[in-house]
Amino acid sequence: MIFIAIIVGSIIGALIGINIPTISYTYSGYLAIAIIAALDSVFGGITSTLKKNFDMKIFLSGFFVNAILAMALTYLGQKLNLDIYLAALVVFVWRMFDNLGTIRRYYVEKITTRKIIAKAEATIKKANEEQK
Amino acid sequence: MNREKIAMSITIGLVCVLLISIMFAQFKTVEQTDITGIETAREEELREMLASWKSKYEEVNQKVEETTHKIDEYKDKAASIEETNNLLDKELLQTDKLVGKTDVTGEGVIISLTDNQDTQIEDTDLLKLVNELKLAGAEAISINDKRIVNMSEIVNVNGTILVNTERITSPYTVKAIGNQKYLSSALSLKNSGYIDKYTSYGKTISMSVEKNIKILAYSGGKNLMEFRYAKEAK
Repeated sequence: MIFIAIIVGSIIGALIGINIPTISYTYSGYLAIAIIAALDSVFGGITSTLKKNFDMKIFLSGFFVNAILAMALTYLGQKLNLDIYLAALVVFVWRMFDNLGTIRRYYVEKITTRKIIAKAEATIKKANEEQK
Repeated sequence: MNREKIAMSITIGLVCVLLISIMFAQFKTVEQTDITGIETAREEELREMLASWKSKYEEVNQKVEETTHKIDEYKDKAASIEETNNLLDKELLQTDKLVGKTDVTGEGVIISLTDNQDTQIEDTDLLKLVNELKLAGAEAISINDKRIVNMSEIVNVNGTILVNTERITSPYTVKAIGNQKYLSSALSLKNSGYIDKYTSYGKTISMSVEKNIKILAYSGGKNLMEFRYAKEAK
């Protein structure tokens, strides 16, 4: 169900994005940092799902507030003539890698456990047959 | 449980729509900006470049203005020099005319005086004639194409008449340019006029009035045109 929602949403989003009028180059910097913030939230959401402590409210608020905050920081940086968005970028990408690492470890552990269990089951089966 | 799942799916779907649409819009923007070829230049750099070019442009503009100003000045000067030149040329021409250095034409009278068996034309006759013509307002006079200038002399030396130190003989043709009416009437006054008076002495004098007389320029030596002793007084 969730996977279907993700795929359908992505397709619709791609269609909208392609047909949207071009955004001025001046604002593309804000959008880029907003996209990175949103991606960070998405990976955070996936991680929390795997850890079984996913909260919809936290996910949504993180998704929007992080994006808006990142844009605001970028704007402030432009006004101060200081590239603050670089700091936001570092933090978001750092966290993205962190979350990606968690996700990877989770699946690797899962697969390994499954294999061990299968092996154990096979051994048990064999033992049972031999006993017969 | 099921309802909660549906709500979650819809929310996540909407989030996906938002995120992916913004991403694609951004991709498009970046791609199109790449095409225009300023992808490497950031806004601040562009601004700096613009500012520097602007200042350069202003500098060059100022120089152009200065140069144009100078050119105008030179033009003015050239014009004024030309004006002075023209004025000087005019003045020179007038002076030349005045001293008899140029050929001149115009209306006037031609008087011919010829020796006859009884009497000869003398230098004083010519002198008087020239004097009368001058009085009548003649602007240019010549005797046998010898131009009468400021220092011209009409003298009798051993029976021959010299004008501008050159010998002339009968018949004498005196040309004078000036107002026809004044000249002719001054000479042909009844009884007291020059022609009447001298014909009564038995001399052969005739006068013709003409519209277009040409009087040649002074052609003698430099002597009469040069100042050796007279200097400009201050």
